[in-house]
Order: sequence, then C-alpha cells, then structure tokens
Amino acid sequence: MRMKLKKTFSDLLVSPGRTLLVVFALVLGIWGVGTVFVSYFVLANDLNANYQSTNPSQVVFHSNQFEKLNLQQFTEKPEVETAELRDFSLQRIEISPNDWIPLWLYGVEDFEKFKLARIFPETEKRAPDAGTILIERDCKHITKIDVGDSPRVRIDGNMLNVKVSGICFDPAQAPATQDAFIYAYTDKSSYKKMTGLPNNQRLIVRLNNVHSDEDVKKVSDILVKELNTNGITISSVEIPKFNQHPHQWQLDTLIFLVGSIGMLAFIMGAVLVSQLMRSVMASQVRQIGILKAIGGSQYQVFQIYIAMLLLMGFSAGIIAIPLSVASGYAFSYFVAWKLNFNILTTSLPVFVYVMLFAASLLLPVLLSFGIVLKGTSISVRQALADYGISQKVSLREFKFSKRISDSSSFILAIRNSLRNSRRLAVTIMAMALGVAIFSTGFNVRQSLWNLLSNLKSELRYDVQVVLGDQVSREAALRPFSSLQNVKKIEMWNGGRGQIQSNLLSTNKGAGIVVLPYNSELLKLKIINGSWLSSSGELEIVMNQQACDLYNHPAVGSYVILMIGEKNIKGKLVGIAEQFEKPKIYMDIEKYDSLFNPDHLINSLMFVAGDHTYEKVVELKREIEKSIAPTDFKVLYVMSQAERVKIIYDHLNIILTTIVLLSFLVLVVSAIGMASATGINILERTREIGVMRAIGAAPKVIYSLFVMEGMVVSISSILLGLLLAYPLSQLAAIFFGNLMLGKEAILQYAFSPSGFLITLLITLLFGWLASRIPAKSAVQIPTHKALSYE
Amino acid sequence: MTIETNELILSLQDVTKEFLSQERKFTALKNINLFVQKGEYLAITGKSGSGKSTLLNMITGIDHPTSGSIKVRDVTIGQLNESKLAKWRGKNIGIVFQFFQLIPTLTIRENILLAMEFVDVIPNPDRLKRVQDLLTQVGIADQADKMPASLSGGEQQRAAIARALANNPEIIVADEPTGNLDSKTADSINSIFSSLARSGKTVIVVTHERNTALKYHRIVNLVDGEIEVQNSQN
Ligand SMILES: Nc1ncnc2c1ncn2[C@@H]1O[C@H](COP(=O)(O)OP(=O)(O)OP(=O)(O)O)[C@@H](O)[C@H]1O
Ligand SMILES: [Mg+2]
Repeated sequence: MRMKLKKTFSDLLVSPGRTLLVVFALVLGIWGVGTVFVSYFVLANDLNANYQSTNPSQVVFHSNQFEKLNLQQFTEKPEVETAELRDFSLQRIEISPNDWIPLWLYGVEDFEKFKLARIFPETEKRAPDAGTILIERDCKHITKIDVGDSPRVRIDGNMLNVKVSGICFDPAQAPATQDAFIYAYTDKSSYKKMTGLPNNQRLIVRLNNVHSDEDVKKVSDILVKELNTNGITISSVEIPKFNQHPHQWQLDTLIFLVGSIGMLAFIMGAVLVSQLMRSVMASQVRQIGILKAIGGSQYQVFQIYIAMLLLMGFSAGIIAIPLSVASGYAFSYFVAWKLNFNILTTSLPVFVYVMLFAASLLLPVLLSFGIVLKGTSISVRQALADYGISQKVSLREFKFSKRISDSSSFILAIRNSLRNSRRLAVTIMAMALGVAIFSTGFNVRQSLWNLLSNLKSELRYDVQVVLGDQVSREAALRPFSSLQNVKKIEMWNGGRGQIQSNLLSTNKGAGIVVLPYNSELLKLKIINGSWLSSSGELEIVMNQQACDLYNHPAVGSYVILMIGEKNIKGKLVGIAEQFEKPKIYMDIEKYDSLFNPDHLINSLMFVAGDHTYEKVVELKREIEKSIAPTDFKVLYVMSQAERVKIIYDHLNIILTTIVLLSFLVLVVSAIGMASATGINILERTREIGVMRAIGAAPKVIYSLFVMEGMVVSISSILLGLLLAYPLSQLAAIFFGNLMLGKEAILQYAFSPSGFLITLLITLLFGWLASRIPAKSAVQIPTHKALSYE
Repeated sequence: MTIETNELILSLQDVTKEFLSQERKFTALKNINLFVQKGEYLAITGKSGSGKSTLLNMITGIDHPTSGSIKVRDVTIGQLNESKLAKWRGKNIGIVFQFFQLIPTLTIRENILLAMEFVDVIPNPDRLKRVQDLLTQVGIADQADKMPASLSGGEQQRAAIARALANNPEIIVADEPTGNLDSKTADSINSIFSSLARSGKTVIVVTHERNTALKYHRIVNLVDGEIEVQNSQN
C-alpha cells in the first residue's frame, strides 16, 4: 500500500495548480451543500420550535357574552386542551414625535403561568407593573422606546402615557417590524383601565387531537354550537394557520432559495471535479499502461486514483466543513434576526459532522467513479500505443500550428474551442446556467420593483387617514382646516388593505371602496372593460381578486353584492389589476343616493402640495397633531411612501438574498469556466511548445488563447440570456405565488442594469479565465513545453 | 554460449495475429511456432513493421493472438482474465521498454518497490534489501533515491531492468532496450542481459543490432510476420 499511496501523493503534487483547482471545486460543492444542510437543519427546526414553545392558540372566539362562560368547565371538555380569555384591541402608539403606528395591545390573565400563547420575558420583569406594558422585542428595529419610557398611546379618542416596564419575546407573532406595528402586553385590570374596554371578549383555545386546519374547523364548529346552547353567541371565529408560524412562507422561500443555490454550487463543483479528473486521467494513460505492464491489476491501479480522490475530498472537507457550519449559522442567525426568533440549535449533533465528512469523502469518488473506472480499464497495449503516437510530435498538431500564419486567429480560436467538444459543451452549459440565474435574479427583482412603483403610480394621494367609524364630511374635515401643504382632500368610504375590508365589505369578503368616479387619486390598470363613468346606472369595477371571488362575471353583466342586509345590483364595467385584497369599486354619489343618505365617510385622502418624501412625512405628522385633540377613533394614518416601504420590507429580505445568491452562482460558474479553460490550455502545453518551436511569437499564442476564452464566454452569455427569458417568467410566477399569495400577479420584467452587470462580469471572467493560464503557459520554456505530458 | 538446462519454458504454437484497420485485414504474425528453453538468450530481429513488438506483446499477454496458443510453463495465457494476467505477468515476466517508462513521480527505489507491492510475492521485510541488491546488480546502487528524470538514459534503463527483476521473474522481455542509447551505453546494457541469461533467466530481446548477434543463443528473424531462419549458434 505504501508505494501506491506514495504515488498518489506525488501525482497530486506534480501539478499542484490542477490539484488545488480540484480541491477548490470540491470545497465549493461541499460548502454549497453543507451550508444548505446546516442552515436547513437549524432553520427547519428552530422557527417552528420557537413557535411551538409558546404553546400557540389554535382557534380564537369573539363574543361579548363570555361572562356566561365557565372557563373551568370549558377547559375540561374533551376537545379542549386549554383556553384563556386573552383581551385584545388595536390601539395606536407614538414611536417618535408625531409618528404613530398601530399598537396590538393584549390583556393577559397571568404572566407567571401561561397555559397557552406564552410570551417570554427578556428583561427582569416577568410581569408588567400595574398600569404599565411589556413591549415585544422586535419593535427595537423601528423605535427607540425602551424600558422606563412612557410613550403616548392613543386609545379611541383618548391620549395617555403608558410606561414600558419590560421587554418580552413573542415568537408566535409575525415579526412586528415588517408590518410597522408594536405588540404590547399588560394585565387584565390594567387593560380595562387603560382602554376603557370590557375584559373577556376574546377566548383563545388549544384543542386536543387536531391535526389539520380542517380538524380545527370541525371542532370549533362544534364548540360554537355548544357555546350557543349555553347562551353565548360567538360573533366571529379566527383560525390561524394550523401549527405554523405566520411567516413560515418567508422562511420556506429562503430555504428554497438557499437550497437551490447550494445545489447549483454543488452541480458546478461536480462538473468541475469530473472535468479535472478527466484531464488527470487523460494525462495518466501512459503510466496506467506501465503500472499494468509491471504487474498492477486494474483494481490496484484503480486504488491509486481513488485514493487520490479520497485525499482531495479529505482536504476539501477539512476546509469546507467549518466554512459550511459558519455560513450555515450566519445565514440562520440572519434569518432568525429578520423573522424574530431565537436560534435554539446552537450546536450541531455529531451525525451532522459525520454526514458532512462522509459527503466530502464520497462525493468526489462518486462524481468521478466512472471516469476513473474508464481510465484505469484501458489495456496495456492501448495505453502504450497512445504514448507511442504522442511521443512523436503529432503531425496533426504540427500542421495545425502552421496554420497560424495563414488563417485568421479568430477562426483558429473557434476551431480550437471546438476541439474538446464535450468539455466545451459542459463549460458553456454551466456558465450559461450561471448567467441565466444571475440575470433571472435581476429580472425578478425588477418585477418586484415594478410592482412597487405601480403601486405608487396607481395611488396618487400622499396620506390616508382611516377612521373606525363613519362620520359626516364636515366633522371629518374640521380638524384639518388649518393644515399647510395640503392641495386637496378627497373623502371616500372604504379603502386599501385588510383593515379597510373589515369596515365595509360584501358578505363574500370583498372590500368595498366608494370614491368619486372621476377621482384623480386612484388610477388602476384596467385589463378588461373600462373604469367607472357617470352613466345613470350603478357601475362597479372589480379587481382580479374580487373577480375570482365572484366566479369571473363577464364585463357588462350585472352582479348582486350582499352588504350586510342590503343587496346592491351593479353593472360590472371593468376589471382592474392590483396587488391587493379583493376589492370592488363604485361611485360615491350613486352609492350615497342608494345606501348612504347622510353622506358619511370614513377615509380622508390627502394630496400634498409638495410631494417630496420629507414634506409628506411632515404633513403626516401635522395630520397626527391635528387629530390628537379630537375624539376621532383613528384606525391608522399612513403615507403612501411608508406603505410602499412596508411592502418593500416584506420583500426586501428575499430580494437581497436573490441578488446575492445569484451573484454567487455566477461567480461559481465563472470559476468553473476559468478552470475548464485552464485545463484546456494546460493540456496543450506541448502544442504551445510546438508552435513556439516553429516560430509563433508568444504574443500570437497568447492572444489565441484569450480569444478562445472570449469565444466561450460570449457563447455562454448568449445561451444564458436565452435561458434567462423562460426562467425569469417561471420565477416571476413562482415568487409571486410564494411571496404575495395566490392572487398576486408578478409580471416578467427585464432588468437593463442586471443585463449590463451580467454582461460585464461574464466577459471579465471569460477574459481572466483564459488570460491567467495562457500567460503561464506562454512563460514555460519551449524545451519544457515540448516534453510536457 | 550454451544453454545450461534443457527445460521448455515458453512455447508458441501456430500463433497468428490479424489487425483490422479501416476494414482491411492485416496479418502481423503468421503461424508462428517458437519454443524457448529456460536460460535461453534469444534475440528477435527484423525490419520495422515486421511484427517484432507484436510478437513480444503475445508473449507478455499484453495482446492476444487471433489464433494459436501461447504457454508459459503450464499456463496458457489466453485462459487468464485481465486482472489475473496482470498479476501473472508481474510474477513471471519482467518487461523492459525502449523508453524506460519509469514512473516519473517516484524515486528509483520506489519504482521498484511499487512493482513488488503490486505482485506481493517478495515478503515485505526482504524488499528494501532486494531493491539494493538489484540496483547493485545493474550498477546504480548509488542512484536509489534519485528521481528518474535526473538520471541519464543508460542509468534509467538499468533502473528499468532492476524493476523488471523486482519479483524475480523467470522471463525477461525487452523491446529495443538499447534503441535510445549510444553504442557504448548499449553494450553495457547488453552485458547485463547476457549475465542475466547466464544466471538462469530466460531473456528475449528485440533488437536491430545484428552485428552483436554473437552473444545470443539464438536469433529469430521476422520477415513480414513470419519466422525466416532459426539458426542455432554454436
Ligand atoms: N494495433 C494495431 N492495429 C493495426 N495494425 C497494427 C497494430 N499494431 C501493429 N500493427 C501493424 O502490425 C505490423 C507490425 O507491427 P510491430 O509494431 O509489431 O512492428 P515492429 O517489428 O515492432 O516494428 P518497429 O521495428 O518499427 O518497432 C505493422 O505493420 C503495424 O502497422
Ligand atoms: Mg516495435
């Protein structure tokens, strides 16, 4: 064994550059797979483990008759695991002077003993002092409010200062930052005092023996009926996603992204390793012949090369495994920070390391098994004959080199590239894939940007004030009469978003937006029919999501909408494309004449005179100031700029990851190309010697190889961009569904800047990839080049 | 020179080798019958393309005849599979090539040790001493730790002979072992072969040098794949 091993070692050292390349390729591949493995191992468990550690509620009942409920008896029901009357209301909190965001305020039964929906103290206070609140830690991203502060809180019409007595962690909630609100917790009696609202209107429940949304639904239906017979009418039932963190989708997207990138890195690494091994085996043909001639069986010779692979895998593992663990954790911590949960898997079990190490050893063997097997199965006669031919400087090479003088070097470069057509194909494919993915990353990013800018252009008001109650127009306008920088105020009924839909919606759940038909403040993209007009009938426009809800009525047909007890018959005149919940639009005058004789409204749309971001934010502050002394029940005040920012924040983490990772893929595939070109040139060292011997200047040879590299990279770019088009379309659909929900439409978009960056980077890599090995090849003295094997 | 024993070690019977190149059948060896005694020093001569290397390939099992049979002692080569053949060859036949063909990444000593390791007939503890003995025998004892590339052609060929002897084979086969060497160096290599024959090895050498024919027991001249004369010396 010793001499075989010795040979293995010394062969590895013969061409250290090539060995390093193989190890590097292996490191890349193992690192890619390892990072995915480690981060998957950590993340797949930890978000859910965080979520489950709270013992999250599975169903929430609302009623104003829970005083009739015997909670003790209720929890003893076989279906019920445990339950608590956890108060909740939506208030507002000032996070910096005149900047208000929603406050989700909870009234908690007992901070010492959580039966379900647990929160974890992060500061010494386990429970807030009477009259104070604990705030959820994720708010740190958007506000400086800290323990001991007493920010202003607006509860209905009242303003009060509420002291923050501690910070807590609630991993069952969607991260507050992304939606720009704050979670806060207080005890029940403080809740009642603070809000003036009654306690015990909301029952959170965990059930026994439920395994799916349907199970929960079934059991909760039974419970609702039972409660009903006890004289408790349930006004509404909320069923959160079963056993799933609300932002699991983001995590899934990220894991998917990292997974696919890791796989790509692996594929690239694999391609590289097998290409390099192919070239190693090709250069070993003669030696294999000798080894067999002096008595080595195929198995013994095979061992030498397998040992070579194992050795390289071992070295790669030593480097790649710590890298994988580091980057896997770095990614996990980044995600945990973004999604507000704690990394619980702080150390990896031994089997993870064992698996990574086994993978490092086995991967190269598996990847090149066929190549090594084929290489070592060559017969002695063939192996020595091969040597015999190449020993005499081949006539073909000679003729070939002579052509330099009488053929344009471009044609020669193309012809040379085509010489090893299999390697060329693999190289171009790998590089093209990198280009395609990089380009797709930019295109998807562009699609999302377009979505955001569409949002900006379709909504032309600057600040929206939404009230919880309907008020008269005069009352609504009164506080704002002295505002500066207001060009116009339009008053609507209903408006954007989920909260709005709750205020005014059809029984099927489509939000109603009532606005002047000729409003300048909403310009939707109509994809079928037309926008509202001033015709005599009640016209409606639906967005696509509403259209889905109503089973795609034809434009021009009449649709009956049920709103509470009322029936509205409207003519569908158009369908709009929108990134929104289901919404139905109608003219305010017609709506009012039919259903709203007092002309009450609940939203005010402000248009600023000066649209700059600072001025709009200032206007928003002024509006808040004007509201402060009134008794308006404000749901929210939001500027468009902020809204776009909120949506952007939801997508930002994914956008950033997409572009970063696709850049990584491009780099990896460029390295793949570089090394393939490198091997190609390395293998032709002798040919270079021949060319030099017959008088080709180093400059000629050099430019020939660089030209070859360019031919390869340009072909890859062309193919890659061709591939990018269908890939981007698929990706737009995929990410649209994954990130924005089924109803969302994400249009394919072409990113010119992405295109340019792709072009430049690929060309640069192509140039470097051929320049570096060509330079070193040209520097080899002619006599050495001639004897190169 | 005379052959000490009278023991048949190698026999070729009706060996014919045909090559198919570009649809055309080419007969490289025609009905070769050749019997070699233990300790015989045999030269194979002939013009380029006459089939010398092909004949050697038949003997070493590197290539197989189209028809006919080759026996070394009791073993019919055609009946061994590739892997057994490699082992058998390592044990029974030492091959010396024109271009030395040492493994360039191993020292001279390691080259020889590798051959021993492959075949595994020399007991492990004896190997290092044997390497030294063999190198002394071929006259390059002081070069053991050098890399092949740093040796002269003659020294490399001596190393290659030492490697061929590594597993103490009965037959040594050499294809133009001096073809790449100057005549003085060639003479010293040839004298190694004749002393090997004297010590009881069967040595078969392909050569162009007809004038040095005297030292062989027998010369087989190939003409277009056929044995022309078989004349015994002395
Ligand atoms: N694998 C093969 N395929 C086809 N023909 C072959 C093959 N090997 C040898 N030949 C042919 O068989 C004939 C004999 O070849 P061989 O190599 O035995 O000649 P040689 O006597 O050793 O010549 P040289 O003195 O040049 O080495 C030649 O004409 C050669 O072209
Ligand atoms: Mg020959």
